[in-house]
Amino acid sequence: MAITRVIPVLLLKNSGLVKTLKFKDPKYVGDPLNAVKIFNEKEVDELILLDITATTENKKPQLELLKEIAGECFMPLTYGGGIKSSDEIKDILKVGVEKICLNSVAVENADMVKQSVRRYGSSTICVSIDVKKNFFGKQEIHTHSGKTNTKIDPLTFALQMDKLGVGELIINSIDRDGMMQGYDVELMKKITNAVNMPVIACGGAGTVAQMKEVIQQGGASAVAAGSMFVFHGKHRAVLISYPSQEEMESIFE
Amino acid sequence: MMTDLRPYQICTRCIMDTTDTEISFDENGQCNHCASYFKLAPLYVYQGESSDKALQELVAKMKEAGKNSEYDCMVGVSGGVDSSYVAYITKKLGLRALTLHFDNGWNSQLAVKNIENIVKKSGFDYQTWVVDWEEFRDLQVSFFKASVANLEIPTDQAFLAAIYNLCNKYNIKYILSGSNFATEGILPKSWGYNAKDTKHIKAIHDQFGKVPFKTYPLLGFNREFYYTYVKGIKMVRLLNYVPYVKSDAMKVIQDELGWVYYGGKHYESVFTRFFQAYILPVKFGIDKRKAHLSTLICSGQITREEALEEMQKDPYPEELLTQDKDYVIKKLGLTPEEFETIMKAPVKSYKDYPNDEKRLKFIYSVYNKLRGR
Amino acid sequence: MVIIIDYGLGNLGSIKNMLNKIGVNAEISGDPVVISSATKLILPGVGAFDNGMQNLTDLKLIEVLNKKVLEDKVPVLGICLGMQLMTRGSEEGNLLGLGWVDAVTIKFNSTDSERKFPIPHMGWEYVKAEKESLLLKEMYDKPRFYFVHSYYVKALRGDDVLISTDYNGEFVSGFEKNNILGVQFHPEKSHKFGMKLFKNFIENY
Repeated sequence: MAITRVIPVLLLKNSGLVKTLKFKDPKYVGDPLNAVKIFNEKEVDELILLDITATTENKKPQLELLKEIAGECFMPLTYGGGIKSSDEIKDILKVGVEKICLNSVAVENADMVKQSVRRYGSSTICVSIDVKKNFFGKQEIHTHSGKTNTKIDPLTFALQMDKLGVGELIINSIDRDGMMQGYDVELMKKITNAVNMPVIACGGAGTVAQMKEVIQQGGASAVAAGSMFVFHGKHRAVLISYPSQEEMESIFE
Repeated sequence: MMTDLRPYQICTRCIMDTTDTEISFDENGQCNHCASYFKLAPLYVYQGESSDKALQELVAKMKEAGKNSEYDCMVGVSGGVDSSYVAYITKKLGLRALTLHFDNGWNSQLAVKNIENIVKKSGFDYQTWVVDWEEFRDLQVSFFKASVANLEIPTDQAFLAAIYNLCNKYNIKYILSGSNFATEGILPKSWGYNAKDTKHIKAIHDQFGKVPFKTYPLLGFNREFYYTYVKGIKMVRLLNYVPYVKSDAMKVIQDELGWVYYGGKHYESVFTRFFQAYILPVKFGIDKRKAHLSTLICSGQITREEALEEMQKDPYPEELLTQDKDYVIKKLGLTPEEFETIMKAPVKSYKDYPNDEKRLKFIYSVYNKLRGR
Repeated sequence: MVIIIDYGLGNLGSIKNMLNKIGVNAEISGDPVVISSATKLILPGVGAFDNGMQNLTDLKLIEVLNKKVLEDKVPVLGICLGMQLMTRGSEEGNLLGLGWVDAVTIKFNSTDSERKFPIPHMGWEYVKAEKESLLLKEMYDKPRFYFVHSYYVKALRGDDVLISTDYNGEFVSGFEKNNILGVQFHPEKSHKFGMKLFKNFIENY
């Protein structure tokens, strides 16, 4: 098995980075270019950058900014946010992004996903689903940065994406977003047991031990984290960090 | 270039020279800077027992004032030597501190790592003030276009505003700063106007800026007066109360806090290191190392020969310079051509722009008298 | 001049970026005239085998590349699909490869519990040097690189194997035959390990 990837997730709101709590209350984190530069110098495995208002505000991906950011990455970069058509993907890849993350559009237009996989290769296309429990505890997929409840069951959807040849799946727990109290291991387990593609856990990471848990018990192929790598302490103050190579090796091997 | 018509002359005691256009020399060729240093040192540099006593009294005062707050003091941390050493001393003194990092978007990875180590090892609570990058960049570019020598005003001013603001919020009465006389005592006025002139900042912003101020913190004298006089928040240069030898301090923080050296003073900020090692020398003919090394000569930390040797070295490894230059230009949103145009534009003085120098000089002299300075 | 071959596929910008970072000024070009003046070549590639070979053919690059590599012995580094194109052919496609090395490209076998070794093979992996080489000179400890592929190279001549990697069995992740080098992983996305590899390629060949 490939070395388990530990991936920082950065959220873009217009031209600045923010961090949310349960997908709400965005707190300003700073300049994306410098944050990416720092993560690059920390030699992180991979980076995911998501534009969280592009789809809801009907805006196009910010190609100029993406180009500058990609120029600072000597590791793979995944971008998601506001992608509606398969054609747009070409331009994004051209500026130096390795992988594309589809979210709202994947739910609305499965055919677009199929086309994109065929055109760009499955390893280039990943799909992320944002999941929230309803009043009765049932998990449901939400799109448009958590604003629209599609009522779709995540497992059913994941199986569908698997069949379309999507390269990897990101499962993001809205309930646990920013809370730093651990991943939704149960949800991960349910999905990883059913699909063939690699699944990345996201939402809730607070400690390296929690990462180990979702890998070993949840079957995650990789773990993603936002707040954990961007905040420190009770005041939730901005401090970019990443586990050292030694820390990661000791936990994952 | 900011050169004088007078012939080049360098001090025979320290290494300050005529790139400070206002420098003066006595009959022995010794300059006003080191003379001034020796005159003021007894007031500001560690003097042994009297300093120890003063420190004890200060700590008692801080603990007393801290009774009404979660914290006894606030410590600004940048990842650099001075502030890291302050954090170390503060911990040893048993004070409850809130560490504050002012984030202007230019942190180097090593600086961030150092801050992380300090905060984790000391166990102090931690806060940041993150300046809105769009507003800040616009202000930095404005100052750059204004061709004035002190490009750090946007940072320095905002940092002060932020730290006072937060002290007020957390009801903290003492700010422990890393500024110190032993390594920074010498700094010519002609090399940079002081940061606290909001009229000057607004004027330059009005002339060259495009992004309106929405969240960028402005201090201004009235507000500063409120914080310091009305709210009683005091700025303390803690390192003036302890023996401060840079190389020793570095070793201590390396051993105790896992601090890592990044090369060069203030090199924890990508902008500052590029500014000091490239923009200042190339556009303004100013090499700040002279001031810093001259201070070290006066405080007995290095010899004049060692200082001259140090000056022979490149302030910047060539490779890093190219990378930093590309990065700074990109990050400031300029094209390489625009950058070169500004670099070649004639040097201006702060006096060429609206400023409150006279009024502030007067106000501060009265204010300082009131406070017994 | 180091030329990164542009035949419509691959992380050209990323490779140029990394070379830039280590102080190497490389040019990106798909022009046979420019390529014929190269002192070193990099053949990148991401995507399908037949697409790659077809593009090289359509751009009339095969002739000049054969001359530069096989006759002039110009050092060439193939990356990912670029490495695979240097083999005789691939299970993925119908077209013949460049045939610069005695090897073929075959698909990963997903016979085991697919959960443990999903295809495409995507992620960071440790690599092992199988012979001494200037390409790996002073490489950092525990070298790892970023992989993303569904096919791999099977070298028919043992001597040509330079690097191997374990993914449900060992496979060839790098070969070296005189001036012809190929790596399955993406050095341009592998931080300091990639930088060292590129540096060695530029300085030692």
